[in-house]
Formats: sequence, structure tokens, C-alpha cells
Amino acid sequence: MTNLLATPSSWPRVLLPATDGGDPTDLDSAIRTGAFEALKTAVRAMTPSQVVTAVAGSGLRGRGGAGFPSGTKWRAAASAPEARRYVVANGYGADPAVQTDRTLLERAPFAVIEGMALAAYAIDARQGFIAVRSDAEAAIRTLEAAISAAEETGLIGPDAVETGWPVRIEIRPVQGAYMLGEETVLLKALEGKRGQPEQRPPHPAEQGLFGRPTLVHNVQTLAAVPWIVNHGAEAYAAIGSKASPGTILVQLRGPGGAGIAEVPIGTKLRDLVDLVHARGRGSEPERPIKAVLVGGPSGGFLPPDLLDTPYEYDALRAVDAHIGSGSIVVADDQACIVDLARLLTRFCADQACGKTIPCRIGTRRLSEIVDRMAAGTPRPGDAALALDLASDIVGSALCDHERLATLPTTSAMRYFRPELDDHLLRSTCPAGVCHPIAVALAGRA
Amino acid sequence: MSFVPGLGLVRGMALTLRRFFEPKVTNLYPEVPASIPPKFRGRLQLLYDEYGTLKCETCFQCAQACPVECIDMGGVDTKGRYAIHWGPPETYGERREESALRRAGRTVPDPVYEHFHGIDLHAVDEILEGFDHDPKELLGILAAIQAEYGYVPVAALKRVSQSTGAWYAMLYGTATYYDHLAVGAPAAAPGRADEAYLGALDGALSGRGARPDAADDAPAGER
Repeated sequence: MTNLLATPSSWPRVLLPATDGGDPTDLDSAIRTGAFEALKTAVRAMTPSQVVTAVAGSGLRGRGGAGFPSGTKWRAAASAPEARRYVVANGYGADPAVQTDRTLLERAPFAVIEGMALAAYAIDARQGFIAVRSDAEAAIRTLEAAISAAEETGLIGPDAVETGWPVRIEIRPVQGAYMLGEETVLLKALEGKRGQPEQRPPHPAEQGLFGRPTLVHNVQTLAAVPWIVNHGAEAYAAIGSKASPGTILVQLRGPGGAGIAEVPIGTKLRDLVDLVHARGRGSEPERPIKAVLVGGPSGGFLPPDLLDTPYEYDALRAVDAHIGSGSIVVADDQACIVDLARLLTRFCADQACGKTIPCRIGTRRLSEIVDRMAAGTPRPGDAALALDLASDIVGSALCDHERLATLPTTSAMRYFRPELDDHLLRSTCPAGVCHPIAVALAGRA
Repeated sequence: MSFVPGLGLVRGMALTLRRFFEPKVTNLYPEVPASIPPKFRGRLQLLYDEYGTLKCETCFQCAQACPVECIDMGGVDTKGRYAIHWGPPETYGERREESALRRAGRTVPDPVYEHFHGIDLHAVDEILEGFDHDPKELLGILAAIQAEYGYVPVAALKRVSQSTGAWYAMLYGTATYYDHLAVGAPAAAPGRADEAYLGALDGALSGRGARPDAADDAPAGER
């Protein structure tokens, strides 16, 4: 399942090791290739605030989907007046179709551990937690081996890098809810509570795990930190787009294959889609692309003429999609957009935690409206009602799930209005997917 | 009292006149906000939506927030699960009455009540000992209980609450939230949401349709 796609050699590699060979938990060979170099440099020669400045200067933004500038987070966590702080690495990977986080943990566990240790050093935290999906057993095994190897060598532990500075890193397997990808929900799960988001501010960097300042980062964000310390903030800022530099792992899926690729942020969507939708290859004739779903279950559908959009936080938000889980799904003309929108909206509604009423009831009603469209039994005004409801849900959102759960519906309505109108006005499905309608037409013919 | 013509009228008008010059008690709400005691919470009422279903989704947030744990509730939550078993034991009987069940939207007996008795709790005690009775390890405790019994018995939840000091409402809210935990009664297949989503996505992309029941419909269409 974790198939690494071949990417053009001009694309830089930061997160995943260039070669696949060897045991990723072998500390000696990892140290020979530069692992923990950054931690030693930082602890021996840099002050914590210099590390924070380096991260801020690199322009690194959170890879968990929201793209919050990491330097701002680190400054807030470091300056919060508390004795105890935590670092939490989110390797949960909430989207069931996406395996990027666990692949990173399996292939480059030391980069994540070193990144966590650096973050702990920068904000003066003594403890870190890595949240991993319970069913990612290979990732958990790799991490356990890697952490114990690093502890034996004294790189982390009670006397990290022989400076008397203690840092402990624990693995916390979590499971059972899509919402755990949201940072405050994950913190609730780590505290052993029902996973519901919290009002922000205060942000977790000020009041997070057990009420202490907590740095919550995706594992990809943390794995980039050692590289930044080693090569300098300017080198990192030069990779990818200006507004959000660096690389990100994406999970691609299309008719021509599926897999994970490390791509520089700001790459055009067309280049990414080409990795799994190679024209002219394979025995079957290639079907035309109908839509590209960017961002996982709460992502947006983009039409083929928007494929020149850069894969970048702000540019994607402007066209009603988002980086989200890092998933890019190519749908060819066999798929029906209304059918897909219904599936995604239903999933988002089912996974709503129930804390806020607009999300709990609103997404459910939205899902019912899309159900009616797909079934060919829309009520008059359903299209306007859906847009109205969607804007209300977004306007009263508590967390990003609620803010984005309406995207499948609204982006489908924005870009695929002719296909939607076929469902709404003529009760037909051009792709022949929506079943009751197809059966009714067959009977009439 | 001797009869004086018009005295009653004078008395009545005197009262009217006195009231006329008294300070007014009408509040010009909403221009002038009413002064309400800080603990006033209005009238609590559960509302129904336009489809006639109860808007309360049994999320237990109010029960968790209630400082004296006096809130008692029943109903169907967002995932369609039937939950009518939070509250002091002496009110179980009331909640099994027909009217209580009807208010909760169902006319079936409470499965959790049925499964409440007759569970050997030694395994729960061992699990709790292993986790040092620490409420922060709740998810680990619940997962271990699920592995031991195949589901999370309500009696075990009560024991966890007693032993860790965590509120039962908090525990119940946590245990029913996570997909992989089956609370009250063994579920056929807990935590299948991910596989269902992946299967439906495969179906939608390959043109078969996203509905899980699409395969069942096809022969009916051909008939």
C-alpha cells in the first residue's frame, strides 16, 4: 500500500531518505548519514531562541493541513509563563485513505525524534508524545526500536547529548475517531477524554495538554526541523513556493496508479496528477480527467482547467480546496461528482463530534440535501438551501473540520453546476452512477 | 358603617390616583435589559425539529457539566445508538416505563439495562491495577477492557469510575465516542467506519456508485 512514486530528480528531498535500502532503525548508519547532527549542534552551540529564530526564518508552516506558521507557534509556546511544557507529534493520519504520516514514521523515525528533541530544546519542554494510529503496527514497532536506540546512545533520555538536559519521548497509540487529526481533539484523547475540540484562543501553544503550553505539530513538520538547523533557514526558504517553503508528502491516487510522493509545495497540480495519470501509458485507453479531489474527505473538487493551481495553502483555499490530509484523488469520467460529494459529506457528517450544533445538525441536513440531489428527488430551492446552510456552518465553526466539511458540496456546486443541474432539474445522472435514476431511465427506455 | 353616597367611588378613585403617581414597574425591555439573578437558567425544555425528532442528541455534555450529577437522559445519539441509561440507579425503573421510552423515541427495552448484571469484574480490577488507576490512561484502560470482554460492559465503566475517581458521565461520553469501543453490548463489528469509507470511495471512483447497498440494488434493477 505504501508505494513510493518516482518523482523528477529536480525535486528536492527533505523528509524521506533518498535511498530505500537498509534498516531505518539502525542508529549507527543513520548517524553516519547525518542524523542527530542538528540536535548536537543546537544543544551545544545554539540558544533555544536561536533555534526558534531559525525555524521562524525558514518560513516552515504546519503540515497538518491548516498551514499555521510554525515559528509563531514556537515563539508562543516558548514565551508562555509555565514551568512545564509538552511537545506532541501528530502522526495519526486521520484520513483513512492516506498513509503519509505512518510511511514517514516507518522510513525516517530518527528525523521525527530529532525534530521533537529540537522542538523540546527550543521551548524548554521535557516530554514529548508521538500519537500514532493503533493499526499502524509497523510504524509503532519502528518508532519503539528507534526511540530505545536513541535513548541507549544518550541522544535523548534523562541526560540528552551529555548536557544534563532531560527529554523523554513516548509513543501513544490512539484510534477510533476521524476527528483525532484536529489538534485540540488529539490533546483531549491524550488526556483520556472524549475527543471534542476546544475554543481557541487560548491556543494549545499557550494552554494545551493538561493545561500546559503544548507544541502540537504534524510529524512532517517536525521531521523538517533537523534539516533546517543543518542547512540553514535560507536554504529551506529557497525550496518550493515563497509563501510556504519546503516539501510535503502527498498521497496520490488515480486511474494510472497510487502512492506517496514527496513534493515541493507550490508545484502545479498538473505535475502531481501526471504522476498517477500518465497519458499514453498502459494498455487501456486513458479516460479524461473529470475532477481532482484535493484534501481528503473534507476536500474540494477542482475541474481540469484549474490544474495549473499551485499546490500551496493559500492558492488552494482561494479555489475552494485545501491541502488537508495531503490527499489528491483523480476522478475520471466514470465517477459522478454528486455521488462523490454525497459520500464525502456523509462521511464528514458521521464523523462530526457533536460539540457544536451547526456542525452536528447542519452537516447532517447538508448530507440529506445532497442525498436528495443524488436520488433525483430534490425539493425546490434545495440548491440555494445547501449554499445557505453551508455558509452558516462555516460561519459558526469551532474547529477546522466544521470549517471544511462543507467543501465537497460547495466546490461541486461551484465548478460542476451543469452536472448538478442534470440531477436537480432533469433527474438524470450523466455518468450513470446514481442508481435510482439510472434504473428509472432504463425502465422508461 | 353608615351609608354615604359615593364613598365607594371616592375610595376606588383614591386608589387609582395613588397608583397613578407611584413609580412605574414596567421594564422597557429590550431597550433596558432586565436584571436577572446570575444563576437563572430560564426554562429547560427539549425541542423537536421540523421533522418531529428530538433535537437532543444524547451527547451527555449537559450531564458532564452538571455539578451535582442530577441530569438524567435518554435518547438516540448522532450515530443512531440507543442510550437511555445515565442517572442514579433508583430511576432506572422510571426510565423503563413506556412513557419514558416514548419520550426517548423508542419503544424497546434498554439493552444496557439488560446487560448490566452478572459480570465478573476481576479482570477490570487487574486492568486498573496495571494502569495504576490513573484516569489519564483512560483510553488504554477502555481498550484493554474491550479486548478482555469483547465490549465495554456498563458495570465495568462503573467500576472504572469508582476506582479512578473520574465521573461516570465523563467516562460514558468518552467510551461512546470512540468507534473501536462497543459500549453496553457486543457490537457486530465496531470501528468499521474507515473500511466502509474506503470501499465506498473505490466504488464511486470506478463508476459503481458510492452507496454500500449498490451491489444489492443491481439484481433488483435487472429483474
